[in-house]
Amino acid sequence: MGAREDFTDDAMQYAPQLFATALRMTRNRSDAEDLVQETFLKGWRAFDSYQQGTNLRAWLFRIMTNTFINKYNSQQRRPQETELDEVEELFLFRRMGAFDQSKMSQSAEDQMLELFTDDEVKNAIESLPETFRIPVLLSDVEGFSYKEIAEMLEVPIGTVMSRLHRGRKAMQKMLYEYAKERGLVDESLLDPQD
Amino acid sequence: MADCQETLNELESYLDSELSEGRANEIITHLKGCTDCQGAYEFHADLRTAIKTKAKNEELPDGFLDRLRDCLGDDVLGAE
Repeated sequence: MGAREDFTDDAMQYAPQLFATALRMTRNRSDAEDLVQETFLKGWRAFDSYQQGTNLRAWLFRIMTNTFINKYNSQQRRPQETELDEVEELFLFRRMGAFDQSKMSQSAEDQMLELFTDDEVKNAIESLPETFRIPVLLSDVEGFSYKEIAEMLEVPIGTVMSRLHRGRKAMQKMLYEYAKERGLVDESLLDPQD
Repeated sequence: MADCQETLNELESYLDSELSEGRANEIITHLKGCTDCQGAYEFHADLRTAIKTKAKNEELPDGFLDRLRDCLGDDVLGAE
């Protein structure tokens, strides 16, 4: 009994990050709340199978990822790898010369933080097909390892790496398009060799 | 030691902290001596930070945590 009460207290600290990821998965606040509630209920009911001392956070994200994939009839199990256009390597890096320096901060790190808005980053993630969006969320936002993500998605590590690589490039292209729409980019500045 | 092509190819795994210690050290050695690759590394490290920072900011719906506790509480009562 005590262990289950501990579960509520321990798990509750992860509720905000689970909600943020659930929102990027479902793209809907109400569905995201339902998904987190279902994750907690499943975790609570399966608590006997949780091994004390192992990573509770990873365990909860695994439950949530599986719940999402099953509930939303996900294409994850039979992904269509062709649904994402090929994007060249280092896409955004090679285009930084086209950004209007007068509209950018001096410090490189601040520059990146100021260059894109919160909504643009969130939209860029949400625009990814689910096959790519989930590994990108679990890695770039939540910081899970390839191995942890492979276990959550029940796919080989090589598949995680390839989906991350393609998903990240597609996200960079999307961010570049947003910057273009906001008039931050002058493509005539790009070296044609690039 | 890693060359430019190898370094750029493995930059993502390096940023993900997924390289072996030996391989990571080879990449670090290359980055220290190569301004171009160092630039690419810093760009992608900053981009990661920006994405993480911006995607994590999410306001919880009003009463979210209370409802979460309540739904677990109901389940406890339902089980008894």
